Amino acid sequence: MTTSTPEGSPMHPIAPGDSPPPIVSVNSLSVAYRSGGRDVPVVHEVSLDVAKGRTLALVGESGSGKSTVAATLLGHLRHGSRITGGSVRVDGHDVFALPARELRRLRGGTVAMVGQNAGQALTPTMRIGRQIEEAGGTVPVADLLEQVRLPRPAELARRYPHELSGGQQQRVAIAMAIAARPKVLVLDEPTTGLDVVTQRGVLDLIAALRDELGLAAVLVSHDLGVVAHMADEVCVLKSGRVVETAATRQLFADPQDPYTKRLLASVPRLDDTGLAVVAESGEREVRPKVPVPEGSPVAVSAHDVTVDYGSSRAVDGVSFDVRRGEVVALVGESGSGKSTLAWTLAGLRTPSGGTMTHETGDLARPAHRRPLALRRRIQLVFQNADTSLNPRRSVGDAVRHPLRFFGTATGRTEATEQARRLITDVRLDPALAERLPAQLSGGQRQRIGIARALAGEPDVLIADEITTALDVSVQADVLRLLDDLRRERDLACLFISHDLAVVRGIADRVVVLRHGVVVEEGPTEAVFAAPGHPYTRQLMAAALEPDPDAQPYVDDTVDWADAADGDDIWTDPGDGGHRVRRWRSLNAPVAEGVS
Amino acid sequence: MLSFVLRRLASAVGTLFLSSVLVFLAVQALPGDVATQILGKDATPDAVAALRDQLGLDRPAWERYFDWIKGALHGDFGTSLVSGKGVGGEVAMYLGNSALIALVTVLFAVTGSLVLGILAGLYRDRWPDHLISTVSLIGMSVPEFVVATVLVLCFSVALPWFPAVVLYGPDASVGQLLPAVWLPALALAVVMAAYIVRMARTSVIDVMAGEYVTTARLKGLSTWRVVTRHALPSALLPTLHVIALNVAWLIGGVAVVENVFNYPGIGKLMLSSVQNRDLPIIQAIALVSAVVYVCCNLAADLGAMALNPRLRTRGRTR
Amino acid sequence: MTTLDTTPAAVAPGPRAATRAWRTLRSSRTATVGLAIVAVHVLIALLAPLLTSYDPIANDASHALLGPSADHWAGTDQYGRDVLARVLYGGRYALGVSVTATLVTVALGTVVGCAAALRGGWFDDVLGRILDAVLSIPSILALLVVVTALGTGPAVIVLAIAVSYVPQVARVVRGAALAVVPMDYVTAARARGESTWSILRREVLPNITDVVCVEFAMRASWVVLLISSLSFLGFGADPPTPDWGLMVAENRTAITVVPMASLAPIIALATLVVGLNLAADGLSKAWGVDRIREGL
Repeated sequence: MTTSTPEGSPMHPIAPGDSPPPIVSVNSLSVAYRSGGRDVPVVHEVSLDVAKGRTLALVGESGSGKSTVAATLLGHLRHGSRITGGSVRVDGHDVFALPARELRRLRGGTVAMVGQNAGQALTPTMRIGRQIEEAGGTVPVADLLEQVRLPRPAELARRYPHELSGGQQQRVAIAMAIAARPKVLVLDEPTTGLDVVTQRGVLDLIAALRDELGLAAVLVSHDLGVVAHMADEVCVLKSGRVVETAATRQLFADPQDPYTKRLLASVPRLDDTGLAVVAESGEREVRPKVPVPEGSPVAVSAHDVTVDYGSSRAVDGVSFDVRRGEVVALVGESGSGKSTLAWTLAGLRTPSGGTMTHETGDLARPAHRRPLALRRRIQLVFQNADTSLNPRRSVGDAVRHPLRFFGTATGRTEATEQARRLITDVRLDPALAERLPAQLSGGQRQRIGIARALAGEPDVLIADEITTALDVSVQADVLRLLDDLRRERDLACLFISHDLAVVRGIADRVVVLRHGVVVEEGPTEAVFAAPGHPYTRQLMAAALEPDPDAQPYVDDTVDWADAADGDDIWTDPGDGGHRVRRWRSLNAPVAEGVS
Repeated sequence: MLSFVLRRLASAVGTLFLSSVLVFLAVQALPGDVATQILGKDATPDAVAALRDQLGLDRPAWERYFDWIKGALHGDFGTSLVSGKGVGGEVAMYLGNSALIALVTVLFAVTGSLVLGILAGLYRDRWPDHLISTVSLIGMSVPEFVVATVLVLCFSVALPWFPAVVLYGPDASVGQLLPAVWLPALALAVVMAAYIVRMARTSVIDVMAGEYVTTARLKGLSTWRVVTRHALPSALLPTLHVIALNVAWLIGGVAVVENVFNYPGIGKLMLSSVQNRDLPIIQAIALVSAVVYVCCNLAADLGAMALNPRLRTRGRTR
Repeated sequence: MTTLDTTPAAVAPGPRAATRAWRTLRSSRTATVGLAIVAVHVLIALLAPLLTSYDPIANDASHALLGPSADHWAGTDQYGRDVLARVLYGGRYALGVSVTATLVTVALGTVVGCAAALRGGWFDDVLGRILDAVLSIPSILALLVVVTALGTGPAVIVLAIAVSYVPQVARVVRGAALAVVPMDYVTAARARGESTWSILRREVLPNITDVVCVEFAMRASWVVLLISSLSFLGFGADPPTPDWGLMVAENRTAITVVPMASLAPIIALATLVVGLNLAADGLSKAWGVDRIREGL
């Protein structure tokens, strides 16, 4: 999929007193979920209006009820939920009072929905064309596919969903939603799970279609960057209640509610030069990075590492060093090989070429062949805290076991003692040790994951997308914890992420990977100040800032081809270890190297 | 797609080969001398020696195995130790009679249970579901011989509609057997249907809770269309394999029911040859069962391929 | 940030695993009823001598084929034996053999299934093929052959049942274990370089105990059915041992004369199996184990 040049969303200034009648009107809506014989309220008296042609964003962290509210616009409730008060009116109809036949006509015809995960929202046993056709409307399928900018529509219509990429699937879902030319589009996290560049493409498409067809849209998102880019108005939800509703520009410029302030302040930004510290009142302060001490020893070093999966090459000739006390970020989209590299370093894959060494030994062997003393020096923290802890064992046990396994603690009481200390070290109450993982929040589980990794007293910590699954305020806390720990314990940290803003705040050095190849690397400041490779620039241009007036960080993206050749692989912009893989522009055939 | 079919075929042949080895080993490796086993403890040494010679027991086991399997491939399974007739013909005759029962059973059980299972799934936690689930639970909990006995009591004794026992031998014609087919088939169908109903129900509930079914509903499609077009193809997939296993189970399941009704089928032959220690026939029946099992599974896999485009379109890239 | 994060997701301290399992179990009425039925059967089998004064195998030709009366609540059979006494004692054989056979089967199947899931690769392939080959032979035929060759002792039946049912248990357990193996906590244990056995014991087994328990209840119901069928065909319990399957076979011909002699063992058998099935059903629902999904 090619990226179109980003275009700013058209935001109509709100003219007071001149607002057209709302097409969607939710009036003190309450929804409860029945569990264990009693009603658990999930939405409390939520009211909102959306006018024709305008976009309202529902923002909130997980459990805020934002998706539940959005689904009610189509008269849909989860199995076991019911309306306990209020009403939902769309285009003059009271949605929950409509007879079945009318409701069916409303769905698709008046309101259409694009879900989060197109891969699961498309029926796997039906051809794409049939599914779109079914959605009704008079527009030919091929035209619809063309309208969502999919290539070769006639051929694509005969495919099955699994034969498309994630971005293509989402475009098909959009085509399906606009097939019957509805008046309202409900977008429930439409780009979560897509890579940044793909996300940008899909968002631009949605914005264009919205304007073209004059749709009102309700956008559900946890990503404030997406919201700032897309919405005219924002409604902030917390635990099922509306906290604040305001025009987008006003909300981002001058949030009123302390929760909104904290939420906005917690979002990492591309121009933060350190991690943000957010006060209870929502005050934001950027904590400067502490430089890596001079002459700090190299803890782990990879040279020309290659990893193969069968016949396909996941990592191709990657080299980097991580020094003690330094955070090196591996950045790239899915399929860039960054996680493979992390797993290889942790001994879960065997490299097919190159060398990897630690201060104390060779890392080219799988974990069970490495000596115990070496194994404990390199520890991995996982992306998903939900699956990284054994649900049947207490979190104290999760920390205690490696202590005893690595011999860091001898004896049961000493291990228990040390486990409690480690849990305190990750800023948790040691009383939590008796709990099971399911009884902790996501952020707490992730901290236990870190404590478990620390149990081996490692000097290298590999953090594989550790904040991706966390809500933004929790993410900020976990990042600060990681930053503190590497200073306190002089850890070498390999930080894997797809989020450039997060990387900017925490990393000392950045390595950008694309299809298993390093395209650019260097000190964080140098790379962000002057990204040399067009791919790095494309990533930065696609990143969305939580600011409706933000200018794209970098706005010249060009078509390019790899020009690395033999020993002549790198160009050096000359700012302290920054180097860029050779490329040549395809737009202007003469230009070469760094523009 | 072709490579999938070929791979599946190759694995079926491999399983069959392994099964045949197992069958041969199990029957031949029974403790004690096979000839003494067959003839009983007080047989004369001469008779034992003669039988050993007839069975070729003095030759190494692998040689005997290959002789047997070579013969089996040509339809020659040796001669029955009891009747002295060719095993192949004998087994085929009984098998044909059982096939009649099996056909009726499968027809009733599969269609009926799919309909009931899907209904129960769609009416989840409402009275049709409770009724169907309870009945199928009872169906699962009662052994075939009990169902058969109760059926005889109802439809042969109380209401003399069907014969309680078959009075014909294995060479009876289809016309002679037809009236006797229904009760055994019904007994088997009750037991078999219970499992398929439960599987179909769970599978329908699973799929109906899936995101794509919700999407289809939110497109404004009618319930009928959502169920038939979007849900059923995926819901039937796991059910297929349960159906296949149950059909394969029939060949063992008929043993009990046929004995209750004295029906001259493969189950009755199985029991009598076990009692008479007629090894060639036991081997042949076991091999036939293995073939049926493998074929049923193969059919289920091919059926799954027809329903699941992921399997069909493998190899085509994005 | 420097303050301790004490906002707990649940306030109650974590109860022990057994307590939790018990609590979820209690919450499922189906499971409670099923287990209660099974418990009653076990009690009756154990206490049979106290519940009836009749000898279940004593013939009394003068009192043959009697209907229910004050002396013989369920009547007598063709040899004049008290039907109720035989039904009460009949559970001993069925329960004893089934429980032993199921325990052996499920234990073996769990080990084999876990090993296949954890090792993977050629080991898994070869094992799968062998299990498939065993499955292709009807269990009743296998059982008949083994019993005729080795006699009808309980040990032989246990062995025969284990051989023919282990593949199915192994398949289900393998499926359940395969869902656990890709979890990050297993990966973490692998990265620590722990042994296969230790990963199995610490990380995999605790997460599939629910599946194994449900599997136990369900297989037990199958085994009870199979053993009664075997007895019915005359290959299981030897007469005059009191056994339900055998009783049905003996009294079936006289069903119009003394229906209770056939019905009583049928009811006993059916309630036991219904109890086991209810338990399996309720447990799988309470613990979120989808047993039917995982194949038969």
